[in-house]
Amino acid sequence: MAKLTLKNLNKSFYKNREAIHAVSDLSIETKDGEFVALLGPSGCGKSTTLRMIAGLEDITSGEVLIGERKLNDLHPKDRNIGLAFENYAMYPPLSVYDNISFNMRAKNVPKETIKKEIDKMASLLDLKDLLAMNPSALSGGQKQRVNIARALIRRPEVLLLDEPLSHLDGKVRQKMRTEIKHLHNEINCTTIIVTHDQLEAMALADRIAIIKDGVLQQFGTPLEVFNHPQNEFVAGFIGEPPMNIFTVFATFKEGSVYLVSKNGKLRFNVPDKYKDYLEEGKEYRFGIRPTDISVVTDDQPYSTELNVTVFENVGEECRIHIKIEEDNILSIVSEEIYKLDTGDGIKIKFDSDRIHIFDVNTGERVEKQKVLI
Amino acid sequence: MADVTLQSVSKKFKKDIALDNINLKIKDKEFFVIFGPAGAGKTTLLNVIAGLYLPDYGDVYLDGEHYNYVEPEDRNIAMVFENYALYPHFTVFDNIASPLRSPRYKEPKAVVEKEVSRVANILKIDHLLERDISELSNGQRQRVGLGRALVRNPNVFLMDEPITHLDAKLRHQMRAELKEMQKNLDTTTIYVTHDYLEALSLGDKIAILNEGKIEQIGTPDEIYYYPHNEFVASSFGEPEINFFRASVTKDNQLSIFEEAKNQPLPETIKGYVKENVTSVKLGIRPKNIQYSFTKENENCVECIPYSFEPLGAKAVLTVEKDGNQIRLTVPSTLQVAMDKPVYVQLDVNKAIFFGPNKMNLLSKYREDAKGEVVWQN
Repeated sequence: MAKLTLKNLNKSFYKNREAIHAVSDLSIETKDGEFVALLGPSGCGKSTTLRMIAGLEDITSGEVLIGERKLNDLHPKDRNIGLAFENYAMYPPLSVYDNISFNMRAKNVPKETIKKEIDKMASLLDLKDLLAMNPSALSGGQKQRVNIARALIRRPEVLLLDEPLSHLDGKVRQKMRTEIKHLHNEINCTTIIVTHDQLEAMALADRIAIIKDGVLQQFGTPLEVFNHPQNEFVAGFIGEPPMNIFTVFATFKEGSVYLVSKNGKLRFNVPDKYKDYLEEGKEYRFGIRPTDISVVTDDQPYSTELNVTVFENVGEECRIHIKIEEDNILSIVSEEIYKLDTGDGIKIKFDSDRIHIFDVNTGERVEKQKVLI
Repeated sequence: MADVTLQSVSKKFKKDIALDNINLKIKDKEFFVIFGPAGAGKTTLLNVIAGLYLPDYGDVYLDGEHYNYVEPEDRNIAMVFENYALYPHFTVFDNIASPLRSPRYKEPKAVVEKEVSRVANILKIDHLLERDISELSNGQRQRVGLGRALVRNPNVFLMDEPITHLDAKLRHQMRAELKEMQKNLDTTTIYVTHDYLEALSLGDKIAILNEGKIEQIGTPDEIYYYPHNEFVASSFGEPEINFFRASVTKDNQLSIFEEAKNQPLPETIKGYVKENVTSVKLGIRPKNIQYSFTKENENCVECIPYSFEPLGAKAVLTVEKDGNQIRLTVPSTLQVAMDKPVYVQLDVNKAIFFGPNKMNLLSKYREDAKGEVVWQN
């Protein structure tokens, strides 16, 4: 049973005699068979973390454990970890069959056993027709499947995937994403995926660890991080189109709480429970997802009237953009297709159960209790 | 002020056919999108219009004038590149002013200043004019790139994937800004992209290019709701449209799955299914497929869950039926047990029908119209 644990993991580099902390105090505990994504912008330390797990990078301090077994001082080959690289790294003169079996042949595994294992892998990853081919004859998606097969054939306790989809384009990428998710359902091997694409992380992972500048920001299920972001960074990073975030002032009037945008253009009422979290006259960062704003026709509580700046109809949905500040556009995504044009007045309403308010200085969420998932 | 016409333009690179008999009519002030996958010939087509390539065959007309042999610099066409190609050591002002100061124009200082401030106003970068390029964000750089093209008052604007390499968030914002800007431009614009959202959102008209050939030309609504063939249908929309093979019985009934009840052919389609046709293909978009976890009626088909991918508010549920995958758009809060069947119902009234030649049954490809698709309804 493979439970991967990272305990207070640190990694520092020295550059011009200055220490750079690539990873600071990272602690993550996965369950057996869990699919975990390390997500963050480029340079956040997610790949460094993966390389420390694989043993390709020294650990400055902290521990990496599989079950109760400490990996820190083990050679990569003794860690029982399968790693699929971003750039496939296959032996070009060898056939797909030989590429996948390379490791086993190096360990002098009997031929019949190799054949049996590869047949199993081929049916799992749909590689049967490719086994005799050379890597150069494969498409990007096929190469990635071979790559994953090669990592899995060792029967690793933990599978590591380093940006497996980022070299693929458009449709192939989506297909491969579905394949990887399906594969994980079949084999249930503890898997860590590193990615900078939040959609990929959401689609694949059971839990997502969002990392920024080497520091863990939030660790939770896709719906938790989407519906209940702990801070402004997570809120802005997760979700496409991105969450609308702008600065507001809190004012209290007749026992109700109102939030007013900086230029006063937007003014709306929020549920009374926010009285406990907000201070009058203070600045906050307010966030709402484009899908949580609806266009209403009649006067309803919490609705606001605004003029459309840009209207987009993209088939499945329509997107309405409203300029609320000089450099800030409020976007609305609606499944119902409206016919609107620039300058049209519409009434909008925020779904008051799904608003997010963050502290203006720390970026932390003001109310800690969970919203409905 | 210009319309652009291309007549049977073809271009080969050694043995590879890059453009194959392209016919286009782009009206004055139109925002015309050329959409296609990588390697479709989009950029080649743009380069032919710009004059960077001479077509092997066919003619390019600008405002009715034959332009094949007009040098690029004499065409008064401005191009915006994917990678901006700005002068890194110049300020924003100098970058935008550079075409006016070139040996060709050598405009006096007063004119340069007037023009640059006019353009900076449209693009809302007037507060950035003194900055160096290195101090700008990607979105601002893009606007400077546009400004440099705009300052010459070109007849035609060519844009080659100007926002494709920005990250998803910035792209969402830049698309809205481009659309806002487009209203103030009043210049014929030809825009190349492989992002279907950009095409649908920005274009007055879209031409879909595949392997050097035009698959369809139409407005965004036409492209999305009446795709001419299976290629166009699968290129627009995410997740991709689902295709189902259905057999047509003698009494005009459709049978998609054996276990489901036959459904009558929709009235709108009836006249277009020829008598000897026994099989058609149905395209149904993922959001138009109904699902349930119990067999509600005899239209339900039992499927095995394949994967469930939450993407925020929505999720993609992929199920398998007889080895074929069906994609559905569902709320991400849906609880799907991967070991229990999902029942899927297909509504033929929401389907797009394709014939044996992969063409939409409703469309008629008029040979003499040279690539234009004529709708019959």
